[in-house]
Formats: sequence, C-alpha cells, structure tokens
Amino acid sequence: MNKFKTTFWHTYLSKVKAKSFIITTIIVMLLIVLAGNFDKIMNLFDSSEAINTVEVEATEEFTEQFSAVLPEISEDISMTDSDGDIVLTVEDSVPITATVESEVEISSAQQTEIELALDSVNREMVVNSLDLTEEEAGLMAAEIDVDFQTAESMEEGDSGAAGEMDEPNYLNIVIFYVTVFVMFFVVINYASQIGTEIAMEKSSRVIEMIVSSVSPVNHLFAKILAIICVSLTQLFFFVATIIAVIYLVDIGAIISEFGLEANDRTLPMIIYSLVFLLLGLVLYLSVSALLGSFVSRMEDLQQALLPITLMSIGGMYLGMFNLFNPDNMLVIITSYFPFFTPFVMPLRVLDPDTSHLTVWIGMVIVIITVIIAVYFAARIYKGSILSTDKGIIKNIRKFNKGE
Amino acid sequence: MSLVLSNLTKRFDDFTAVDDINIEVPTGSMYGFLGGNGAGKTTTFRMLLGLLTPTAGNITYNDKKIDYSMTDKIGYLPEERGLHPKLQVDEQIQYLAKLKGMKKADIDKQLDFWLEEFEVPENKQKKIEKLSKGNQQKIQLIASIIHEPELIILDEPFSGLDPVNVEILKKAVKNLNESGATILFSTHRMDHVEELCEELCILNKGQQVVNGNIDDIKSDFGQKELVIEGRHDISFLKDFPGVLDFKQKRNKNVIKIAEEKYAEDIYNEIIRIGYFKRFQVMEPSLNDIFIAKVGRQYE
Repeated sequence: MNKFKTTFWHTYLSKVKAKSFIITTIIVMLLIVLAGNFDKIMNLFDSSEAINTVEVEATEEFTEQFSAVLPEISEDISMTDSDGDIVLTVEDSVPITATVESEVEISSAQQTEIELALDSVNREMVVNSLDLTEEEAGLMAAEIDVDFQTAESMEEGDSGAAGEMDEPNYLNIVIFYVTVFVMFFVVINYASQIGTEIAMEKSSRVIEMIVSSVSPVNHLFAKILAIICVSLTQLFFFVATIIAVIYLVDIGAIISEFGLEANDRTLPMIIYSLVFLLLGLVLYLSVSALLGSFVSRMEDLQQALLPITLMSIGGMYLGMFNLFNPDNMLVIITSYFPFFTPFVMPLRVLDPDTSHLTVWIGMVIVIITVIIAVYFAARIYKGSILSTDKGIIKNIRKFNKGE
Repeated sequence: MSLVLSNLTKRFDDFTAVDDINIEVPTGSMYGFLGGNGAGKTTTFRMLLGLLTPTAGNITYNDKKIDYSMTDKIGYLPEERGLHPKLQVDEQIQYLAKLKGMKKADIDKQLDFWLEEFEVPENKQKKIEKLSKGNQQKIQLIASIIHEPELIILDEPFSGLDPVNVEILKKAVKNLNESGATILFSTHRMDHVEELCEELCILNKGQQVVNGNIDDIKSDFGQKELVIEGRHDISFLKDFPGVLDFKQKRNKNVIKIAEEKYAEDIYNEIIRIGYFKRFQVMEPSLNDIFIAKVGRQYE
C-alpha cells in the first residue's frame, strides 16, 4: 500500500507540477472568465450608446398607446416631451410608417425594443381599424393546437405526454454540450499522457528497476489512478472557476438573454452528466493504459492510441449531431455501446421519455467494460513489461500465451 | 545457505534460455555469474526477482520464495540501463528509494554519501538526460544499493565504464560485501570474477558449466600449468606422461599437465640436465577451465 502511495504521489505531483499542466489550466480558466464576461466584452466593442429617452411626434392616439406599451418592452427607455435622445416620427397610417432620428448609433438590442413596441401598437391599431370585437381579436392571436397522432404514439397513449414533443430546454443542452466537450478534451489530453507515461517507462527501461521493487499491477493501478486524479484536479479548477464566475460576475443577464432556465430535468441532468464524465474518464484512461502497455517504443504510441482518438471523436460527434434529436434510433443504439455511452447517454437524459433504468443500464455497461479493460491492462502490462518486441501484435500474442 | 536455485529452467517457445541450473549462494559471499552473450545470466536474474516465471525449478532465499514482501531487502541493477530521462537525479533516487521503503531524510543523506563516494556530487540536481552514460550508470547503481540491501544483484555492473570508474565501482562493491551484503553479479569479464569473487558459476548457452568456490574449482580441476625457465632445451618433455600441452617461447616453457603429481616427475627429470632459474606450478586460469569444459575458446 505504501508503494502504491509512493508511485501515486510521484506520478500525480510530477504531472501537476509540470508546466504544460499549469499553462493549459490557466488558459482554460481565463477562457471561462472571458466567457462569463462576454456581455461586457461585447459592450466594449459596441460603439453605440444607450438611449434613455424618446421623443414622439405623432397623433395623440398613437402617443397614448405607445406610452402604454413601451414600459412593458423596454426598461431603459422612457417617453419625454422634448429634448429626447431620439426622435420618433410616426405618420398617421395603417400600417405605421415610422422614422427614428438620432445623434448617436442605437444598439441593436434597443433597435429591436423600439421595433417590438411599434409592432405591438400597430397590431392594436389594425384591430381597431377593422372594427373587430375583443373576442375576434383574441381568436386571431390564439395559438393553434395540432395533435400528431402516429401509430406508435397511439399505443403508448396513456402516458399522456406521448406524441407531444417537448420544447428543448436550452440550459440542459448547454450542460450536456459542456460535459461532452470537457470529456472529449480531457480524454484526448490524458489518454495520450497515460500512454506516454507507460510507454516511456518501458522504452527508457527504468521499469525493470521499478518492478523489482513493486508488483507491476500495483504500479499500473497507481499510475492510472494518479492520472485520473490529475485530470480531476484540472476539472476541479475549471468547475471552481465556473462557480466563481457565476457568483462573482452577474451572468444572470447572459443566461436570460439566451433563454436558459432550469426545469425538473436539470438536476438529474447535472448528476448524470458528472457520473458519465467520471466513468468516461476512467474507461478511456484505462483503455489507454492498456494500449500504452502494448508498445515498447514512443514512436508506436500514437498509432496504438488511435482507437481511443477515433472512438472519442465518434462519441462526441454522435452527441453533438443529435443534440435536438435525443430519441433518434442511432442515439438509442449507440448509447449502449460502452465507448459511446459516456458521450451519448447524457443526451438521452435530455429526453423526458428516457427512464432512469435505461441510464443505470448504461452506467453498468461502462463499469463492466472498465473492469474488463483494467483486468486486461494488468495482464498485458505484466507480460509485456520486459519485452522489447516492437510489434503490437507480437505483444498481444505473448499475452495470449500468458507469459 | 541464503540463496538457493534448484533445477531452474526457463524456456521461451523452443529456445531454452536457462537449462537446469543448481547453485547455492552463501550468505555474505560475493558470487560471480560468468558467461558470454546469451548465456542466460539476465534471464536467471529476472527469474530470481520474480520478473519471469521459471518453466521449472525453484528459487528460495533463506528458505522462502522470493516475492514482493521481501523486495525491500534486495537491490537490483538491471543490465538494461535506464532511468526517467526528464527527472533530476535526486528526484529519481527519492522515488526509487521510497519504493524500497526508505524515508525522505535518510534517502537524502545516503544519496549525498554515495554521490561523494562515486565522485559525482555535482550531479545531484541535474536532469538525468544531461548526464553521460557512465554517470547515469553510477546513479542507477546508487538506486539499487541506497537502501542497504542484504542481497544485491548486479547485472553487468561494470560494462561500458572507463577503467577509472570501473575501479571506483569495484571498490564500492567490495565495501558493500565487507559490510555484510551478499552480492551476486554477472559479467562477461573473467578477470573481474577472479579479482572479486570467492564463488562463481560459469554459464554457457543456458547450461551451467561449473560452479562453487573459485579455489576449490581450480584445485579440483586438476590441470596445472608448469612454467620452466632456463637455457636448456627441454622439448623432449612434450611426450612425457601427463603432459597435455607444451609451449616454448625463447627460454620460457609453459607446460600444461593433467595433475600436480606429474610436476614432481618433470622436476626430477630436468634437474639432471642442469640449472633452471624458474620452476613454478601455477593454478589454472578460469579461461583454461572454460576451454577445458566447453571445448572452445571463451567469447
């Protein structure tokens, strides 16, 4: 156990103290802070000035209606009789023809606000000019009701929600998106690190000294765990920065601007995303260790790690391409394939029809695969540690003989 | 008997790397493993340390099988030299010594001592990849002996070093042995074994040619070398009973005889001729033993 700790700390500290680790961590933390202050940065580059007052030149009827609508749409702009920041001239016609005169550039957000207000008044004026009753006007504004009844949705009709596609929740999608991206980033980065670590010890032959003191399996596990902890340390810094940004910088504005609101699936989404992120890391790093122990020379490493690279790219794209389509058959099938599960299963959590059981099955599949990968990694590592056979295939053959 | 190898055999596919070796390494001895390339020295050491599983046979140390519970007492210098190239010398030694169960402060003290002993104290903070091959080898030797092991296994410890460094390392190895460690080392240099070891084992193509105490081996071997120096021609001795080989170089004659008893007959024969300034019975060299046993020149 002591030797396990020695190798663990040695690997962990040498990785965490490495310049590459410190620099990438700081860069990503800076990017997160930048993203959190996105609105402020946008404003820096936005030469337009805020408009506070608007002077309206129009009929009394229009002015009255406009003054009623404006406060509902814009918080910043108020009506004034004279000397306004902008002058709004409206011709008395239906539909409205308006001209806005301003000394300064008006921001696109405020332009939209003014347009919305005008639009609203216009609709009212049209309704008035057509002499419609309030009921008739209401009918025009009513939303249509469409019920798509397909054979499938009829069968499970009792669930009530069936056949009715929920509006996607953007916050959950963002959570999914961030998780998958982070997982991809960490897997690609650390898979090569653990592979390098193992292949380097083999190619520099220091491994023979090490395994004369500590059993190969013990050593391998200490290494895998250390690298996983290094990746978690990095993740911790990222998450801490995100939380700090949420609390320190007022990002409420950004969130509401993008229409991000939590719903009842947000919490399970966060939990499952974290669980699959962890499982994904453990799975991919264990398999990388397995692949790293096949090679004896650094030159062969990238080739040996190719399956990891391809699978993680595949997993990420499966997730990204089906973002708005989580009940797609491709998603359902691939969510049970262990190497895609960590990427795809959280996507299925987005779909309210996915039961918890499905997600748990996904977890079990990944855990079983991790156990198998670790078992094989340990066996191959033990057998191939002193072999300087160049080919990957030769090492696999050796493993089969149990040498 | 501290370390016992009995009927040890290792086969890789059709190739037998080590074939039925039986040796006993007494506690506190300096044991030499002599053999050319591919003789099976490294394979034997790897089996000793449990890095390879023997195809047949047993290895015991103090009547127990060697496993990871006793590796703290064993020091091993592999033949394949290698350390983490990116680490500093002290970081590397700290790591490897901690794996042997040492404490940080002790490691530091011992490291200073050994760096001084090997005359490279300036290398402590240097990166390993910056060191010369010989200096890396010293660092690796330090890593294998820093924890004061009872049993030290050194695979070709002196290969690739210049003569000055060979002497420094030899001195260190001798000191370790004198302070009680059992040392097992392999080499392909006969002179190192003759100089350092009391006990040895000669391997040839995986087979044990001879083993035991060097003096016993030499006296049991029987064959002696007779050196006779004088002005008289004694080439008639070629056909004398017991004479195996006769070489003449100006006044010096080197005669190989099957047993020491023939020396007396020869002595009695030549004193009748006249004065000889030298008549000496020499012990056979390991090289002679090797040739006699294997039937070909060593290496």
